[in-house]
Amino acid sequence: MKKEGFFKKYWLVLLTGFVVGVAALLLQKLGNPGNMGFCIACFERDIAGALGLHTAGAKVAEDAISVGNLAYFRPEIIGILLGSMLMAICTKEFKGKGGSSPVLRFFLGAGVMIGALVFLGCPLRMVIRIGGGDPNALIGLGGFIVGILIGVFFLKKGFTLNRAYKQSSLEGAAFPITTAIMGLLCLLGIIGLMTAEGVKPGGSRAPWYIAIIAGLIVGALGQKSRFCMVGGVRDAVMFKEFGLIAGFGMVILTVLAGNAILGNFGETYKGFKLVGQPIASADWLWNFLGMAIVGWGSALLGGCPLRQLVLAGEGNSDSAITVIGMIAGAALAHNFKLASGASTLADDGTVTGGSTPNGHIAVIAILVLLAIVSVVCTFCKKKEKAEQ
Amino acid sequence: MTNYLATFHTHLASLKTHRSLTAAGIAARMAPVPRKISSSCGTCVFYSADDPCYGMLDADVEAVYLLKEEHDAELLREFE
Repeated sequence: MKKEGFFKKYWLVLLTGFVVGVAALLLQKLGNPGNMGFCIACFERDIAGALGLHTAGAKVAEDAISVGNLAYFRPEIIGILLGSMLMAICTKEFKGKGGSSPVLRFFLGAGVMIGALVFLGCPLRMVIRIGGGDPNALIGLGGFIVGILIGVFFLKKGFTLNRAYKQSSLEGAAFPITTAIMGLLCLLGIIGLMTAEGVKPGGSRAPWYIAIIAGLIVGALGQKSRFCMVGGVRDAVMFKEFGLIAGFGMVILTVLAGNAILGNFGETYKGFKLVGQPIASADWLWNFLGMAIVGWGSALLGGCPLRQLVLAGEGNSDSAITVIGMIAGAALAHNFKLASGASTLADDGTVTGGSTPNGHIAVIAILVLLAIVSVVCTFCKKKEKAEQ
Repeated sequence: MTNYLATFHTHLASLKTHRSLTAAGIAARMAPVPRKISSSCGTCVFYSADDPCYGMLDADVEAVYLLKEEHDAELLREFE
């Protein structure tokens, strides 16, 4: 094939990075939490809450089931799934496909989510936090890159979750369609958990119709461009291809410029201090290790949480299982107090919040499990094949 | 000498194919699958040979394309 110039080849990835950055800024401006205009992990965690799988932040009240403030069927997720699906259908790329180690993918997805909730954000929120002037996210980026490099090491040595096979379109469409229907019913108030009087579930949020449109655009562009936070580092290291990683950089630049223009640094910028950043833990070691899990697990899964959603939208049932694993992981993270809280500085100088002892144990356990999965699926698979 | 591109169901299959083609003295390189070919984010092998070398491709091969001078790839064969 003819060699193309960098911009001609990767303009769509760069455009996607720009649009993701603008969408994150817009959604934050319209009500989403600080430095969380877009976060796949946080939004899937909120969906887990909306389904009653955890009750993080719940207030107990008489005569009513109280749901937590992390309970909201985030429309962005519905939008991404449907946007990817519609784009894939229009370009005849929607295909039911799956069967590549679904159970392992479920657990890897759950592990990635727990790592993300110890750090407090998926790779996308990590770059949005960097663009928002949060130095904790730079430490997370270090862990994320180290994690991907470990994953790439095993990929180069022959790691595999085995191949996927063709499946029916119904199998491919089941997850995005069901999620969209349930989500819309929740958003319209037709189904949903009872809320105690005075408890507003879901916390901060942008208007749902704008959130869903932003999700649709990001999902469609993500499908067309294969935008992926993990794929960028993987391709750069393995193949010296820098297109996807340029998209990653584009999100940071866009958010950085946008925050500067919107004057957000005045409100949220804490002089590059670790403590006091919006919804951020200041425990650098656990931020590093949490994102190392996300990088390593996502490299083994073949894509970051956003990419998994986009793939699920285009009919990949393995990615659908991964997303379901992530939602289950979010429930575990909050029910067992593995997720970190925001670090805040009290008047007397003490720091509260941050990572939890249970979270530390979970991080170490998941790192050990990732090592076992990586070794078994790299070295023992070769033996299995040789014996066949 | 003709240029070919093979896509695979797994990264491991492309790794093994790259190794066997290189061992046979065929110029081959691994790369991300071009977006024009597929929406998946797997890896493929570009190689130059007199024929498509089907026998040397891993069992998890997905498809083989013929690369033309100026423009896109032409699908030669799709595997199960």
